[in-house]
Amino acid sequence: MNTEQASIKAPKRKNSSPWAIARRKFFHNKLAMISSVFLMTVIILSFLAPYITTVDISRVNIGETSLTPSSDHWLGTDQSGRDVFTRLLYGGRVSLTVGMSVTAIVVVFGTLIGSIAGYFGGFVDNILMRFTDFILNFPFLVFVIVLSSLLFGHVSGVWVLIAVISGLSWGGVARIVRSKILAEKENEYILAAESIGTSSAKIITRHLLPNVLSTIIVQATLLFATMIVAEAGLSYLGFGVPQEVPSWGNMLTSSRQPDVLQNKPWIWIPPGLAIVFTILSINFIGEGLKDALNPKSNR
Amino acid sequence: MLKYSLRRILGMIPMLFLISIVVFSLAKLMPGDALGGEIDPLNTDPEYIEEMREKLGYNDPIVVQYFDWVTGFVQGDFGQSVKYKMDVSDLILEKLPNTIFLGMMSLLITYVLALIMGIYAGRKPYTVGDHLIGGLNYLGLAIPSFVAAIFAIYFFSFQLNWFPSNGSVDIMVQEGTLDYWLSRLHHVILPAIVLGALSTASYTQFLRNDIIDNSRRDFVRTARAKGTSRSKIYNVHILRNSIIPLVTFLGFDIVSIIGGAVITETIFTYPGIGQLFVNSVSSRDYSVVMAITMMFSCLVLVGNLIADILYGIVDPRIRLD
Repeated sequence: MNTEQASIKAPKRKNSSPWAIARRKFFHNKLAMISSVFLMTVIILSFLAPYITTVDISRVNIGETSLTPSSDHWLGTDQSGRDVFTRLLYGGRVSLTVGMSVTAIVVVFGTLIGSIAGYFGGFVDNILMRFTDFILNFPFLVFVIVLSSLLFGHVSGVWVLIAVISGLSWGGVARIVRSKILAEKENEYILAAESIGTSSAKIITRHLLPNVLSTIIVQATLLFATMIVAEAGLSYLGFGVPQEVPSWGNMLTSSRQPDVLQNKPWIWIPPGLAIVFTILSINFIGEGLKDALNPKSNR
Repeated sequence: MLKYSLRRILGMIPMLFLISIVVFSLAKLMPGDALGGEIDPLNTDPEYIEEMREKLGYNDPIVVQYFDWVTGFVQGDFGQSVKYKMDVSDLILEKLPNTIFLGMMSLLITYVLALIMGIYAGRKPYTVGDHLIGGLNYLGLAIPSFVAAIFAIYFFSFQLNWFPSNGSVDIMVQEGTLDYWLSRLHHVILPAIVLGALSTASYTQFLRNDIIDNSRRDFVRTARAKGTSRSKIYNVHILRNSIIPLVTFLGFDIVSIIGGAVITETIFTYPGIGQLFVNSVSSRDYSVVMAITMMFSCLVLVGNLIADILYGIVDPRIRLD
């Protein structure tokens, strides 16, 4: 009886785990919450695109080229008579897929390299970090363009782009994870784990990584935004996703024709705004996560 | 310091060597002869082609070909452009001044805007003006430069007619006259602003935070106690301390201008190195692509080097070893 009362009386906050505290902080951050809702909406709409619209995206409709927005075509049609709204949804699917896949690959690979280099140190660290420096010293955009123009035609489209972008951008994550692990492994609990003979793999996965996870999460969020921009930028220049696949970057490409840019803004403004708002919302979520996961901040 | 710089410069050599191998391998993997600008494409006689291939060294072992290429490269011989039928070095020299002009203007705009905004926000933190500047910065950091460029062209070139939307100079004006330079300036402003938006935002943010930090330091309290006027404290005592760390950003600016130039120049059809690069990749003009890739890689290396060295000079507490 007594113990029950005591547990009711005790303020809930004291018992919360760090993750619960972080979650509460995040939920109280209005900007981050609005952004999360917006991003979820964009993701759901994009991935459900085939169920939302029934218009065939690849069909060219000569009779309906460059129509202004109307009730039939909410955002008008492009120069080939394709519905802009439909393409926007399908384009979001491609852009978000590229962003997510690259982020996942980069985070996994970068964490792997970074944690091995940081934990083992010495010779292994030296080799892995020289390799990382080497990758980081490439001018990113230039090499992605060269590589994707080289691979184009040999292997099919979107996955080439994902592989090329990932291959050139894991360096940053590896460096950050390494420096965090370097600091973390000096703690006594790691010494204790080593002294009772815990295997290196287990120390890294069970003891070290959970403690640097917050950094990785924040980093992954910001990477997601960067990668969406990278995809869009490359596709805009014509070196990204193949032209026939709609993506936000590919849709923006039409603005390279002065006539479209000047007189048909409904074709390029929607993908432009979609990119801007998605990036902004991801950045706000990233900032929110950073605040929420930082035990020193008391917002 | 000198020892460290020398060691860093020596450390760049293996990196350059590795990058050159990568660039060479990429060029070799590309369809067609990457270095074949010199063979006359109209002459399809197999004997002629074989003879030319022999003469140009395509039948040599790959290692020999690599060393020939590197030797030529170090001596400034980048080969022939297939598309423009001229030496790649001449082609690059023709476009380079435009890119340098764009880069300089973008840095200048960055410095001026960032100083004005950063100093204002730093002096009056948490006011409406500060929040407004903060919001603008956030947009500058978040909006991708090519989207910003498209919107800028639409509003400022087409709707308002303030700036030209393409090229680097009017065709009508005489080279060397005042009009010529004004026209160039007119053409470069919009791309320079777009190119500099990202660094402007990070400069402003840094300057603002640093000024706020410094204004709580002991030397400011001392100055205030001695009766120094508020504006003198901010403009002399604090600013001098806050501006110095900004110098270290210069190295990163070089790196970001390189990446930005490729996209910005293409959108504004500004005839610089970035646009030349994109066009050359599209038209498979490999000798140009290789030369520019190597050039950009070197610049990135130099940019990172400058950043590291400046760090050491500006903040002696950073141990360089």
